Amino acid sequence: MRIVTYALIAGLSALAIGWGTAISTPLWFAPKAKDQIDIDDPDLISRGEYIALAGDCTACHTAPGGAAFAGGLGLQTPMGTIYSTNITPDPETGIGRYDYGDFERAVRQGMRPDGAHLYPAMPYASYRVVSDADIQALYAYFMSSVAPFAKENQPTTIPWPASLRWPLAWWNMLFSSPRQFEPPAGGDPVLARGAYLVEGLAHCGACHTPRGLGYQEKALKDDDAGRFLSGSVLEGWYAKNLRNEDTGLSTWTEAELIAFLKTGRNARTAAFGSMTDVVQHSLQHLTDADLTAIARYLKSLPPRPGRETWQPKQDETTEALRAGDFSAPGAITYVEHCTQCHRLDGMGAPEIYPALKGNSMVFADDSSSLIQVTMAGGRMPETPAHAMAFAMPGFAHLSDGDLAGVLSFIRNSWGNHASEVTERDIARMRSELAHKPTHYAPEAKQ
Amino acid sequence: MKKPALLIAGMAVLALGGWAALHGVPAAAPEAEGYAILDAGRNVVGRYVVPADSGILVRPDAELILYGKRLLADTARLLPDNVGAAMNCNSCHLGDGKIEGANGYINTVNFYPRVMPRAGKEVDLEARINGCFQRSMNGKPLDPDGREMKAMIAYMDWLRQGVPKDRTVDIVNAGPIDESLVPDPENGRLVYAAKCAACHGADGEGMRDQFGDVLFPPLWGEESFNIGAGMARTYKAAQFVKWAMPPAMHMGGRLGQGGVLSDQDAVDVAEYFTHMPRPDFPAKVKDWPNGGKPRDARY
Repeated sequence: MRIVTYALIAGLSALAIGWGTAISTPLWFAPKAKDQIDIDDPDLISRGEYIALAGDCTACHTAPGGAAFAGGLGLQTPMGTIYSTNITPDPETGIGRYDYGDFERAVRQGMRPDGAHLYPAMPYASYRVVSDADIQALYAYFMSSVAPFAKENQPTTIPWPASLRWPLAWWNMLFSSPRQFEPPAGGDPVLARGAYLVEGLAHCGACHTPRGLGYQEKALKDDDAGRFLSGSVLEGWYAKNLRNEDTGLSTWTEAELIAFLKTGRNARTAAFGSMTDVVQHSLQHLTDADLTAIARYLKSLPPRPGRETWQPKQDETTEALRAGDFSAPGAITYVEHCTQCHRLDGMGAPEIYPALKGNSMVFADDSSSLIQVTMAGGRMPETPAHAMAFAMPGFAHLSDGDLAGVLSFIRNSWGNHASEVTERDIARMRSELAHKPTHYAPEAKQ
Repeated sequence: MKKPALLIAGMAVLALGGWAALHGVPAAAPEAEGYAILDAGRNVVGRYVVPADSGILVRPDAELILYGKRLLADTARLLPDNVGAAMNCNSCHLGDGKIEGANGYINTVNFYPRVMPRAGKEVDLEARINGCFQRSMNGKPLDPDGREMKAMIAYMDWLRQGVPKDRTVDIVNAGPIDESLVPDPENGRLVYAAKCAACHGADGEGMRDQFGDVLFPPLWGEESFNIGAGMARTYKAAQFVKWAMPPAMHMGGRLGQGGVLSDQDAVDVAEYFTHMPRPDFPAKVKDWPNGGKPRDARY
């Protein structure tokens, strides 16, 4: 009995210390900045608007059809749905009463004015490296130029006790400690700018870097292990490997990458899923210099050990299909449902229908995105570069067997080679699609 | 560091529980809806479901049906002696003739032979297909008894899935358009530039693939359909443009096609491109011998 009592006392003490440490973090872990910002400075405001675009604040803080920056977008986590918050300067429901210190602490340190910690769905671990000047400009823009909108924040669906916020203090101490931006070695200012944007404002790693058991990004910048931006699955989308290696970006030229970031498409591929929103709301608005910096930095990420350039196999598919040989497993489904756009040669139509041949999304390490875009459809972003933005219809009405067969065919044809897609993968995606989070936007026009 | 590890483990357990709860429900592909089968009095007598091509493979005449399917899809490449235009049958009959409002083949076998006003006499399916070859394809007729003709008809016959001759599948070849609208070709030019030129080219020239085969058909010029084609008529073209063009606009539907333009814009753009220069159809003098020529006929 005695040992149980001791264990209980030890456990409770540890909990008390853990709790006490957590709730005291506002005092020592997340200091509050004291700067005074002139929110009416037009230069500051206009720089801040660009920072807001580069940071893609709207991606999460505007619900589909909802008021700009008024929150309500549902983000699926393994524990439940988290709703983004109202970051308009409405004094009652938004951030209208935030002084600069409150704002800085929320964006870079993940803490609310009341001392509660934010969910790391907000990429403050990435924003840690954003410069003071950029955060100040962002504050000026939000407080002076974003229209206030009264809308209460929607509580999460995370059940107690996981809904307690104080344990997040420990998450922050472990995974989002204070740090400064360190430019890559070599002193190239373009690479430094690219790294600054990719690691910080653009928070590419939030989707593209694999996460650990604690839901933390395994690397917040490039390191020797090369896990940074090596691809990750979120909400059933595989945010692809962006390293300059085989299934990553080794098959992409810098020019192709820039075109993709700016217009959501290039001669070979097109954005879909959440990347469409990223291009639509953020990347298309960046300067050519910044897009070049991002592209050059991504192309500078070295391959991991054992991962070199992409070696396609011989294309035997084009000739077979053009000769009417549909005997390969999955080929007849491909010819029935896919050739109208993606063609017998798997080349699609440049900047209209994406190619499947040599498209690194198709032979990606993880097939989730290929499966989801095939089942649910996809849409290109709309940008001034193109008069028309095209969509792909979803094929969820096909059977699990047909979908698995045709996707395995696509991943292993025209010289592509990748793992097979199984019926189990398809069934799993059906469940995923049936449980997409709903968004909270009562203001949206019905 | 024990505490955070425990915490994380606890969160992971909860996470797994939540994941299992969310993902425990099995889901399956929805049932295909299909279309009603109607008898001569338009009473519903059955259900037609668009068949999957994999069903062809188990047929004894699979080779002929597949050949027909290929000819309809890749007509210009496979039948260069008969096709004068950079056109395939499926350029107008989208999605292998399986799509409502996009000139389907589903009822085709059951529709012919029939007395047609344009010919002024009974036309059988072979003659109708050859009409397409001489008009839309601006080419030469196939041998009506040849393997190519038999193959195309075999595909269409497979597609009707045994629906008897005196019955029809309740599906339209083209959606409605308001024919009282007066076309404005100048607005049509603007609509064309905004909505059509991305694929069909700024000068209507279409687009070819790496082999020189048709990717998007030309809408005017020497390689387009001739004035004898149904598609050269303003309101017929407008129906197609409104309901079947462009493809890849929506995340639903078989090709995500159509539903982009208003009736007026569709009529305007149809007037614009149909009246651009295109090949003549010398046999036009024989059309509508008994009158009844539609007002948008080109001659």
